Amino acid sequence: MCPPPDEPNELTRRELIKLMGASAGLVCLAPLAGCGDLWERQAVIPVDNWHKGVCRFCGTGCGVMIGLKDNRVADVKGDDEAHNRGRLCIKGLATRDILYSNGRALYPMIRKNGELQRVSWDEAMTLVAQRFKEAIQTHGPDSVAYYGSGQLYTQESYTANKLFKAGIGTNNVDGNPRLCMASAATGYTTTFGKDEPAGCYEDIDHAECFFITGSNTLECHPIIWERVRDRKRSHPATKIILVDPRRTFTAKHADLHLPIYPGTDVSLYNAMIHVFLEHDFIDRDMVENYLSFKEGENNRTFEDFKRHIAKYPPETAAKTCGITPRDIREAAFLFASSKATLSLWTMGLNQQVQGTASNRLVSAMHLLTGHFGRPGATPFSLTGQPNACGGVRDTGSLSHALPNGRLVANPKHREEMEDLWKVPRGRISPKPGYHTLTLFEAMNRGDVKCCLVMCTNPGQTLPNVTAYRQGMEKAFLVVVDAFHPTETTRFADVVLPAALWVEKEGVTGNSERRYHLYPKLVDPPGEAKSDLAILVDLADRLGHGDLISARTPKDVWDEWRKISAHSAYNFEGITYERLQKERGLLWPCPTENHPGTKRRYLPGQDPMATGTGRFDFYGKPDGRATVWLDRQEEPLDPYTDEFPLILNTGRILEHWHTMTITGSAPTLQAIHPDYLEIHPYDAHQLAIKEGDPVIVKSRRGEVELRARLTDVVRPGMVFATMHSARHLVNQATHDVCDPFSKQPAFKRCAVAVQRKTA
Amino acid sequence: MPNHQGLRRRLLPFLVALLTGARLMNATAWAAGPHDAVSIVDVFRGIGITAAAAGILLLILVQYVYRKNIRHGAYHRLLLVGVFLLPLTATWSTTTTVMEGTKLVQACASCHVMHPFVNDMKNPSSPTLAARHYRNNWIAKDQCYACHVTYGVTGTLAGKRDGFRHWLHYVTNTYPDPIQYVGSYANSNCLSCHQGTGKWERVKSHQALLGELSTDRIACITCHGPPHPLPKERTVATTSK
Repeated sequence: MCPPPDEPNELTRRELIKLMGASAGLVCLAPLAGCGDLWERQAVIPVDNWHKGVCRFCGTGCGVMIGLKDNRVADVKGDDEAHNRGRLCIKGLATRDILYSNGRALYPMIRKNGELQRVSWDEAMTLVAQRFKEAIQTHGPDSVAYYGSGQLYTQESYTANKLFKAGIGTNNVDGNPRLCMASAATGYTTTFGKDEPAGCYEDIDHAECFFITGSNTLECHPIIWERVRDRKRSHPATKIILVDPRRTFTAKHADLHLPIYPGTDVSLYNAMIHVFLEHDFIDRDMVENYLSFKEGENNRTFEDFKRHIAKYPPETAAKTCGITPRDIREAAFLFASSKATLSLWTMGLNQQVQGTASNRLVSAMHLLTGHFGRPGATPFSLTGQPNACGGVRDTGSLSHALPNGRLVANPKHREEMEDLWKVPRGRISPKPGYHTLTLFEAMNRGDVKCCLVMCTNPGQTLPNVTAYRQGMEKAFLVVVDAFHPTETTRFADVVLPAALWVEKEGVTGNSERRYHLYPKLVDPPGEAKSDLAILVDLADRLGHGDLISARTPKDVWDEWRKISAHSAYNFEGITYERLQKERGLLWPCPTENHPGTKRRYLPGQDPMATGTGRFDFYGKPDGRATVWLDRQEEPLDPYTDEFPLILNTGRILEHWHTMTITGSAPTLQAIHPDYLEIHPYDAHQLAIKEGDPVIVKSRRGEVELRARLTDVVRPGMVFATMHSARHLVNQATHDVCDPFSKQPAFKRCAVAVQRKTA
Repeated sequence: MPNHQGLRRRLLPFLVALLTGARLMNATAWAAGPHDAVSIVDVFRGIGITAAAAGILLLILVQYVYRKNIRHGAYHRLLLVGVFLLPLTATWSTTTTVMEGTKLVQACASCHVMHPFVNDMKNPSSPTLAARHYRNNWIAKDQCYACHVTYGVTGTLAGKRDGFRHWLHYVTNTYPDPIQYVGSYANSNCLSCHQGTGKWERVKSHQALLGELSTDRIACITCHGPPHPLPKERTVATTSK
C-alpha cells in the first residue's frame, strides 16, 4: 500500500509500471494500426463492387466477374457460376487493362490533305451520310457496303444488317466471320439444314473419345481445353485424337496425333469412313431412317456412297495425307468404338478450299456411326470470335443471308423478312451481295464507292492483303473502331471512335448457342460512342430513322427475339431480365420458362423437334440429315521447285487475331509472334540458322520473319502466326476460297524461304 | 546406496504406470493418415500426456507417500522435476502436438465444414487441383497444410487471425454457407514448388505474368483451377467422419 503522494501530479512507482506495461502493449499492436485487414484477409486489388459479364475475346465466351473501383475496371476474374467454372486464360485476365490502353481512338477524324484530323461528331457523320447518299443516288444502293465483325454485339450487327438490306436496299453486308466460321456454317446448313452446332460444352464432360481436328485447342481455346483435360483427368481411359499438321502443345497431350498435310482432310475422313464400313461400325437405324445421301445437286443412295468411299482405302489416303494407314485405322477404330465421341474443330478445318466438304464429312462420321445426340456424342465447332455465332450467323449479317437461316436468293424468305421488318414487299434486293473477297475486289474496281467497316481490321486479315489495300485506299472508307491506328484506319477517310467491351451494353452468342449479356459498366473514353449509337445516327441521317425504331440495346433485343419466334432459331424466351439474371441461355428457348436447349434435333429435348423418332432433323424438308459424297481435290497453289514449301498460319495462346487489343495489354506486350517455324532439315538445306532473318516468298508477295528451328512443323512445311502487323503474313497467303462458303484458305499456300542477305 | 536401491524399488510401479500410459495414448491416438506408421504427432502427444501424468503422480508420491523416507536433498530435486521440468515438457509437447496435429488432413476433416473439400480431395476421379495433387502424390503428406501454410507454428499473424475468426464463426454458427475464400490467395504457395522447374519456365505466359504472379495480382488458380469444388459441386457435409 502506497501512501498518498505528497503532490497529486507525481507518478507513483506502481503507476509508472502500469503505464510502461500499457505502452509496451500498444507498441506491440502498432504494426496493426491502420490495417484494413484486421479482421479479414483483403484482396490485393481493392474493388468497390463486382458485376457479372463475359470475356471480350474468343468464341468460348467465358463468364467473368468485373470489379470496379472509382468507376474504372480494376480487376477481372473468372465467374464461378458460368460454364468456365471460374477459369480464365491469360487473354481473359488481360481484359482488366484493355480499356485503358494508349491505342484507344478518342475522337472522330476525317482525312484532309492526306492526314487524319480531329473533327466533331456532327462534321464526321454529316460527311459520311453525304458520301453514302451521293453514292446511292448516283450509282445505286449496291455501290455502298457494310463490313462487320463477329465482335460487335448482336444488337449492332442486327441493326446494321437491317439498315443496309431493308433500308438502303443492298445486300452488300458481310463481315470477318466470312474469314472465320463460314465453312462451319455451310457445313452445318448443308448437313442439318440449320446452322450452329447441335451439342453444347457439357458434352465434353461425357465424351470418351475426343476427335480434335484443325484446332490447336490448348492455345486457341484454352478454357475448352482445360475442360477436355478435366474429362481425361477424371476418366484416364478417355482418348484424345488430334489431326493437325503441326505437333502443337495440344498434340503433346494427345493419345494419337495425325500430322496430315494441310488441305488433305477430305481424304482422311473418307478413309476413316472406309474403315467404319469395312468393320461395320455403321448405325443402320440411322442410315435407314434419318440420313439421306447427296452428291452435288443429285440424290444418292447408301450403296452409291459405299462405292464412292471404296475409292478411299486407308492405304491410298495415307499417301495423300502423309501419315500411315495404321494411324488412320486406329483413329477410326477409337472414334467408332468409344461410348461417346466428340469432335472439336476450328480454323484448321474452316480455312481451306475444301472447308465445307471437311466440315460436313466430320458431321457425316458422327451420323454414320451414331455418335450423335447422346451426351458426349456430337460434332462441335469452336468459334474464334465472341459473337460470330449469335451476332452474324444467326442475324444473317452476311451477303447471301437473311436472319435466322433465311437466304437472300429465296423469294419466300425475302417476303417473310420484309413482313417482319414491316417494309414494302420487294424492298430487299433479290441479288446476293458481295462476299468478303469480292467486296474488296469491287472496291479495287471502283464498283463499291463507300464502305462502312466496323470493329474489324481487314487491312491485316485479308489473304493476299496487298492486292486489296489499293481498293481500301480508293473507296470512301469509314472505319469504326475502338483503336487507332490499325492496319485499316491507315486507309480510312473517316475514323469513328467506338466504345469497347463494358463501355457499352449488348448480347453475344458463343460457340454453344449460349446468348449472354455484357453490361455497360463504365463510360467510353474521349468522345467514343457505342457502335449501335453510330448506326442509329447514320440511319437517321440517311433517312431510315423510321425503320431503325429500336434504339437502345434492350429495345433492339426485344425486336430481334420476337422475330426469331418465326423460325427454328426461336429464342423469344430469352428476355433481357433473364439475361441480366442468368449466366446466359442456350437457344432454342421459345418461352420465358424454357430452360434452354442443350442438344438439338432430339424430340423431347429440343422444343423445335416435333417428331417422335430418335431424331427430327427439322431443318431438312424430309427430316433427314444429309451425308455428302465429297472428293479430295488437287491443291490450288501447288508446290514447285520455285515454291517448294507449304506455309500454314495460326495463332498463339497470348495474342488474339491482329493484336489490336492484346498488343497493347501490358502483360502481353512482351510476347512477340514474329517468327517462322521451319524444320531443321529444311533450314539446313537453306543454310538458315536459328534467329536468322528470312524472307518468305509466295506467288503473291513476301514477308520477312525470324527463323525458329523446330520439329513442331514437318519437313516441307513452315508456319507463321497471323498476329503481327509489322510482319504481315497475309502478304503471302493465297486469296482462293471455298466454293460454297467463300471462306479463304489461309491454312495452305506454296512458298519459298530464303535467308535475308544484308 | 541402500537408500537409492529402495527408492528405485519403490518408484518401480510409478515407472510401469508411466509406460503403460504412454502405450495407451499411442493406441488411442488419431488414426494415422495414408501411412499407418506412428507419426510425430503421436510421439509428442505421448510425451506430453506422459509428462503431465508423471508430474502429478510424482508430486503426490513425493509429498504424501515417500516424503519421510527420502533425504531432504532428494526431496527438493524430485519437487523440481515434478513442479518445473515435467510440466515444461508437457507444455512443450502439447503445443507441438496441436501445431503439428492441425497440419494433418484428418484434423481438417474433423470439422464438418471442411468435409466437402476433403471428400473431393480423396475422390479418385475429381479433376480439382487439390484432388490431383493428392492422388498423384505430388504432395507426400499434410496435403491441406502444404497449400495453406499460414497457420502453423511458423505461420503468419494473418493466419492466426484467420484461424481465430474461423473458430469464432464456427462456434457461433455465423459462417456463410457455402463458405468462400476471402482475399487474394498467395501464389508463393504454388511457386515454391513449380517456379524454376523446366516445365514452368518454358511457358511464355508465366514469364509474361511474373510480376503479376509475385504480387498476387493474378492468381495461378485462375488458369489452372479450380483448386476445390465450386459451391454447386460440393458434396454435403457429413456430421461424423
